Amino acid sequence: MPDTSHQEALVQLSAVRKSYFSGRVETPVLHGIDFTMLHGDFVAVMGQSGSGKSTLMNILGCLDTPTSGNHRLAGSEVSQLSRAELAVLRNRTLGFVFQSFNLLKRMSVLDNVALPLLYASVSRAEARKRAAIQLAKVGLTEYSHRQPNQLSGGQQQRVAIARALVADPPLILADEPTGNLDTRTSIDIMAVLTELNRDRGQSIIVVTHEPDIAAYAKRLVRLKDGLVLYDGPAHEGLRQLQEDQRSEETALAAAASAKDAAKEGA
Amino acid sequence: MSFFQVWAESLRAMLANPMRTLLTMLGIIIGIASVVLMLAVGDGIKAFIDKQLSVLGSNLVAIGADSRKAVGARLKTGTVLTLTMDDAEAINRLPTVLGAAPMLTTFSQISYGNENSANTVHGTTPANFVIRNLRMAKGIPISDVDVASAARVAVLGKKVAEQLFYKTDPLNQRIRIDNQSFQVIGVLDNEGQTFDAGDIAELVIVPITSARVALVRTPTPRTVQYIIAQAKSAEGLADMVADISDLVRDRHRIRAEDQDDFRITNFGDFAKTGEAIAAGLSIALGFIGAISLVVGGIGIMNIMLVSVTERTREIGIRMAIGARPADVLWQFLIEAVSICLVSGVIGVGLSAGLAAAVTSTGKFDMSIGLKAVLIATVFSCGIGVFFGFYPARRASKLQPVECLRHE
Repeated sequence: MPDTSHQEALVQLSAVRKSYFSGRVETPVLHGIDFTMLHGDFVAVMGQSGSGKSTLMNILGCLDTPTSGNHRLAGSEVSQLSRAELAVLRNRTLGFVFQSFNLLKRMSVLDNVALPLLYASVSRAEARKRAAIQLAKVGLTEYSHRQPNQLSGGQQQRVAIARALVADPPLILADEPTGNLDTRTSIDIMAVLTELNRDRGQSIIVVTHEPDIAAYAKRLVRLKDGLVLYDGPAHEGLRQLQEDQRSEETALAAAASAKDAAKEGA
Repeated sequence: MSFFQVWAESLRAMLANPMRTLLTMLGIIIGIASVVLMLAVGDGIKAFIDKQLSVLGSNLVAIGADSRKAVGARLKTGTVLTLTMDDAEAINRLPTVLGAAPMLTTFSQISYGNENSANTVHGTTPANFVIRNLRMAKGIPISDVDVASAARVAVLGKKVAEQLFYKTDPLNQRIRIDNQSFQVIGVLDNEGQTFDAGDIAELVIVPITSARVALVRTPTPRTVQYIIAQAKSAEGLADMVADISDLVRDRHRIRAEDQDDFRITNFGDFAKTGEAIAAGLSIALGFIGAISLVVGGIGIMNIMLVSVTERTREIGIRMAIGARPADVLWQFLIEAVSICLVSGVIGVGLSAGLAAAVTSTGKFDMSIGLKAVLIATVFSCGIGVFFGFYPARRASKLQPVECLRHE
């Protein structure tokens, strides 16, 4: 794979549609998404449940392929790759941070962090060395030989970030990274991600439903019913979101009072 | 990911559920142990038979006087003793025969001083000593001169000598056999079974002529009870039997349509019987082993399927961070093979323990050979691959998205 990633967009989705089939019944989830992301960007993806947020995340993560449309990631056309090639692509270009941390049990923290390198055929000694460096960066050196379940949620998510970074991938995908954490720890984790983006130019996509979390990003993509509702600067997007929510509330209140009035009238 | 790393991980997975792993392994352990024991029993029985045969003397047949048809009615065996010293000499001259010894046997009281015992007495010729591999602990065997002169001499079995003489030297002492005086000229060194179901150590051997005169009444002065003959080689045994049969029929003037008045017993047949028993036992154990291995293999497959389901999320995580389907396949396959290999090692250990226990009783020698260990290893690996492949393939076919959703 030639390194053309710096000449072109890191991620490019064009007219991506995704439908799920149960038997002959087609359930469309994404109705044609266009999305381009350059290196160094920090994007938050928001949307209510059912908006296609998770499906989009899976496609961006090369865990799933679109029903139609094109998906380019770091110079590769993803939709044409085999399962094994997808695995190699994920290994080299993506770092995952999940809501439920998804660390492997029965394996030390250090081995968890080293695992992506082992799948990239790096020797065990080298992999552990590099994993130790990453762990030091997230401040967890002293926990290297613990089991993941002996760590707090915030610590586990830091380990997950170290694992996502260990193979030095161009893109970090964080799916509700603070969903299982309290506010203080959430701020902590978002600070780590923000720092990565600011200091190293690390490209990051965060999927979240919390505006507070989305506020850390530079850019916001809002999804609704399988379409992009908003794509632009995060602060402007969040302001619009607030307005939408407010008008929704007003509408709901109006509907409720209309109903009450109808009742009284009767 | 290197083989060693995958292997280390599979061991970790096995140890995560030690009780379940052990129960899963049980079928393979029993199967491998049966297969290894089967081989050990087969070898042990073969060694046992060889040992017994070497005591008995090899390539031996006994020609016994059988009942004779008299006026159409079969008479009781031994009522007419038709074999003679001359038959024995004629047999001895056959080119296929290495040696032949005529026999007269009886059960007599043996006494020395105040000591006495009851023993089998064989009246025979020096050829008997050669044919049956009899060795002397002391003194000399019976000679042709002793036979010719009907000398009152006797060779004692080891136990007989001990019983009668304790620590006294039995040589040249006079004992009484059925109240007839005999001089002890030798003591046998051999132990073990004689083919007429006695213990060589409890035997007393005298010249056949002396036995006839002093101990056994015979219908004619030349009659013998049976003759033992040894073939020159194992291959020549069948030829020898045919030659003897022809010769004796001819000498006894038996017409072609009439039945033999003698019976030839082939001691090699005993060995064949033993080998058949060994083969039967091997087949039975092998069968148990095979069934156990198949059942064990299915158990492994079952538990691997459970394991794949339980670890669906883990599979999803691994795939997300870069495990290819082949990596996942290898991981589960190596895990199945590891379970089987460890079972194989335990199975070999178990069978070695059992073999040692059997050997320690002193009745039967069993040893676990390298061949058995190799076969066990190959078998257990094969089972692991065969029964582990389906679950491993299933794991490798899983979709990462669905795995990550799995709780």
